[in-house]
Amino acid sequence: MKISRNWLQDYVDLADLTDEQISEAITFLGFEVEGIETTGAPALENVVVGEVLTREQHPNADRLSICDVSVGEANGGTKRIVCGAQNYKVGDRVPVALVGAVLPGDFKIKPSKIRGEASEGMMCSGKELNVGDDHAGLLILTDRPEVGTPINEALPPGDVVFDIEITPNRPDCQCHLGVARELAAWFRRELVYPPADLPAAASARPDLLKALKVEAPEDCPVYTATAVAGVAVRPSPEWMQQRLAAVGVRPINNLVDIGNYVMLEYGQPMHAFDASKLADQTIVVRHAHEGEMIVTLDEKERQLTPDMLMIADAEKSVVVAGIMGGENSGVSDDTTDLVLEVAAFRRFSVRATSRKLGLSSDSSYRFERGIDVHGLPEATRRALALTVDLAGGQVCGETLRVGSDVPWEREVELSPAWVRSRLGFDVSDDDQRAALEALDLLIIHENEAEDGSPLWTVRIPSWRSDLDRPIDLVEEILRMHGTATIPERIVTGPGLLVEDDPVAEYNRKAGTLLVGHSLNESVSYTLRTGKDAAAWGGDVAEPPLGLDNPFVEDQSHLRPSLMGGLLDMLHLNQARGNAMHGLFETGRVFIPSDKGVQECAAVGFVIPENTAAAWTKREPADFYTAKRIVETLAKHAGVDLSRQLHLPKDKGVALGWQEGQHTLQGNMAFGWTACYGLLDLARLKELGVEGKVLGGFFAILPERLGKTGKRSRFQPFSSHPAALRDVALVVDENEPAGNVTKALAKQAKSAAKGFEAEAIELFDVYQGEGLPDGKKSLAYSLRFRAGDRTLRDEEVNKAFTAILEGIARKTAYTVRQ
Amino acid sequence: MQDQLAELVARAESELPVLASRPDFEAAKARYVGPKGDLTVLMKQMGSVPKEERPAMGKLINETKTRLQSLLDDTLARLEAAELAAQLGPAVDPTLPSPDPLPGTRHPLTQVREELCSILRKVGFNVVEGPEVETEYYCFDALNTPPTHPARDPQDTFYFPATASFTNVDKKVPEEKYLLRTHTSSVQIRTMLKGEPPIRIVSPGRVYRRDTVDATHSANFHQLEGLYIDRNVTVADLKALLDYVLKSLLGSETKVRFRPHYFGYTEPSFEVDLSARHLPKVNKEWVEIMGCGMVDPAVFDDVGYDSSVWSGYAFGMGIERIAMMIYGIDDIRYFYQNDLRFLRQFC
Repeated sequence: MKISRNWLQDYVDLADLTDEQISEAITFLGFEVEGIETTGAPALENVVVGEVLTREQHPNADRLSICDVSVGEANGGTKRIVCGAQNYKVGDRVPVALVGAVLPGDFKIKPSKIRGEASEGMMCSGKELNVGDDHAGLLILTDRPEVGTPINEALPPGDVVFDIEITPNRPDCQCHLGVARELAAWFRRELVYPPADLPAAASARPDLLKALKVEAPEDCPVYTATAVAGVAVRPSPEWMQQRLAAVGVRPINNLVDIGNYVMLEYGQPMHAFDASKLADQTIVVRHAHEGEMIVTLDEKERQLTPDMLMIADAEKSVVVAGIMGGENSGVSDDTTDLVLEVAAFRRFSVRATSRKLGLSSDSSYRFERGIDVHGLPEATRRALALTVDLAGGQVCGETLRVGSDVPWEREVELSPAWVRSRLGFDVSDDDQRAALEALDLLIIHENEAEDGSPLWTVRIPSWRSDLDRPIDLVEEILRMHGTATIPERIVTGPGLLVEDDPVAEYNRKAGTLLVGHSLNESVSYTLRTGKDAAAWGGDVAEPPLGLDNPFVEDQSHLRPSLMGGLLDMLHLNQARGNAMHGLFETGRVFIPSDKGVQECAAVGFVIPENTAAAWTKREPADFYTAKRIVETLAKHAGVDLSRQLHLPKDKGVALGWQEGQHTLQGNMAFGWTACYGLLDLARLKELGVEGKVLGGFFAILPERLGKTGKRSRFQPFSSHPAALRDVALVVDENEPAGNVTKALAKQAKSAAKGFEAEAIELFDVYQGEGLPDGKKSLAYSLRFRAGDRTLRDEEVNKAFTAILEGIARKTAYTVRQ
Repeated sequence: MQDQLAELVARAESELPVLASRPDFEAAKARYVGPKGDLTVLMKQMGSVPKEERPAMGKLINETKTRLQSLLDDTLARLEAAELAAQLGPAVDPTLPSPDPLPGTRHPLTQVREELCSILRKVGFNVVEGPEVETEYYCFDALNTPPTHPARDPQDTFYFPATASFTNVDKKVPEEKYLLRTHTSSVQIRTMLKGEPPIRIVSPGRVYRRDTVDATHSANFHQLEGLYIDRNVTVADLKALLDYVLKSLLGSETKVRFRPHYFGYTEPSFEVDLSARHLPKVNKEWVEIMGCGMVDPAVFDDVGYDSSVWSGYAFGMGIERIAMMIYGIDDIRYFYQNDLRFLRQFC
């Protein structure tokens, strides 16, 4: 909202304050000052009114002239000035910047030579003096002020416009009077209301305004209409035009300008009809008819729907209520009689219509935020007084009014001691009273609470309907007392002995682990394309992850996985030539299932094939690198992947991984899922990612985390030496090593009697020469140990033989000789 | 015999230092001091030495023995050192770069979040988490934001279709819609409904606004909100906390000021400005950094806390915004591009 300093001055005397002081006051009143703009000429020295005496062609430049300009005896008589403008003639009076002047923009005027000709100053355009946008020609002073007059005396005064953000709780400050009221309170100065002297009304003129009907009172609590006869449409006076222009409203004619002026003064929007265009001189406030259309003042045809509130005459809609008038009824240059509408419309009705039509205005903006219904008569009187004053004419008859006239009444009980207990520092009763009274929050009764402390009854004025409870007055008192007075303290408060959320803890652990694997943490958007959601989300064509109202097409669905984002970021870095080891991300994912979507905590990583040349070789990461990382990530979440091999799988999670080069474990029905290995090469190609990419992904329901609080127990271990035996088993080449290990472990467990088969460790996988086709050999080292003695060879050999026999008898494996 | 002993020492002195292998050494050792070695043989001849010469000869033999042992020890040490040296390659060039990957890094948003959580942890706040998919009740209704409030408009908030089903995000009323939370205050409501005051929590997390992406706006961003509820919590307590937090994070030269403002769920409400010209790219006196206020009694009523007993404060800030200030980053999109040259700057 733009607020003019000159305009404020009408209501509160701020003349002794600098712009910065006023801006700071507005800031501490609770309104952000987003900009301060100076309009009009600033105070200028050595810029005077001059008269062009002669104008000759510059000998060396077609577009320049050389002029003798009279600037008055006191300023040195006549100056010779080179000028490039074309819009003036001999005898014109123009602003002249003499040598020594400093124009806006820190432009210093010095004696100079222009194309070989001396110039002792500059004749100025409006823009150079900051009084208009016209840069093409000189500012011709048509009212011919005295030659030599300092220019500030010849130009309208400048203004300072504060662009301030009005918070939604303060609709009363959507106008100059409201802001002036706040400033008057802040500086503890008097607020002067504008004059609204209205001559007595002439007799009613039913030929101008006969009837007023409100058929939709639920959306229009109050409607008033007043007829004014015999007005003359002409431009508004200069002062009104300047004020409107200063705050960014284009002056049109006196009738339209008065409406805007009073709106910007009181915050009450209004509308003027040409009385001759109202069918049957009747105003009907009703909802639009089905299929009705209206052409609004912006010359657009609008399709109306029955939920939209309209102002109509006996035949047709003439205004979209509170938003914009129709072309069919507004005032024009020929208007002689008008009907002035001042009304209140329901906020949400105006907002809904405004949204639906995609049409908003200064008026709708104010109605949406709420206006003071009880201030309506005052604003009406002011508008009528200005109309009579500036457009002539006569108010005819009483103002017609439909709507509630219950007077405003609100009181709040307030204990100043309680206010102090909310603030936490001392503000005396007297200071509190002064703060309240500065805001017209008058203490109308002083009582005593049970403990003898004062208890005030505070009357709330109608324009402050946001104040309803004692806590609201705490804010008002603090605002007036100044938030800068809140004292410095040290933090106090009991420790609450609560752990951080398990999800936060888990993300920390996972991040520490992955950073330890030389991965760089990245952060990507949660919202992705529908295609991406389907690609990673599951076997359903349309995963139920889509937003109802996406903002842009490529951010329409929740991510079911972190892998898509990680690959995008990998691609970006590859394209930019950034070498890396890999990326990871922790964050929420949304995994669809038959029953619905589950929001999970997740962690994912990618490790691209390392193609960078190096002066010495390192073992590259492979499937088993990813396996170990994911196992550890799962372990931090309390999940032991080695024990979970046979759960049914979530097919969807495995989408995007390379067939035969990944493994999927877990199931969201159990609360977690894990997938790791190589990512699908075809998909990588499609995404433009180069080389093979290893990845891992682990997701778990947040509620599953944090159930891992079991503390480890010490297990005693033997101090006697171990006995080792090696065995190689020949198995079918497709047999998973896990099955062989499990079978061997089972045999070992039953064979070792009185001691323990402590470890079964796979150390070699071999296929090729010396083995039949389609077979592979798995070599294991078996470690036996007893807790109480050193094992003797005989007992170990006996057990080992039993194991080999067991394998031969109970499994399809053979012992390699 | 004296001569023989001298000759033995001289032989050892010339032979042992040039021995090159352990077997050679073992053989030599046997030749000199082994059971059949030269010294042993000479010692056995002691019986034939005249009695009066025996003490002198004994002394000489001992000296020879000591000398030989010392030569053997030196030789063994030399050979062992050579054996160890043979296990190593040539000397390293310490100026060659390590071919191992560079250390991993935490994202700057994580670093700032964790630093803030740790600062708050010191004064008793614990981290709480909640779902990013929320319902209208937790995101708006419970926060004193009526259905007609503009913040709830589909122009500003992402909603899911009525058919959407999120099985682990509970709804308060069946007919309310799922949405993407616009602030982490929803987590505070969930915490309040689940527990009892006093409460002292911080809820960092990802939030969503339906907004154009530009240098300062992102479709999702991260917030960190705090909530403290206890008896007799005051405006002065709130100011003290934020002074502590911002000075801890940004340095003790930081100045903090409160400006009155408006938020639906706090009363009074403030915006907090910082004066921190020591930070990069801060070129004006006061920079807006966060919002805060005293919890509105209506919020307490809504979650069933007695607002005549309990009071509290709440505050919230954008993590991106803070990170941009601390590091002097001028475009929010860098956080989401994850260019390695960006990520590696903050370790």
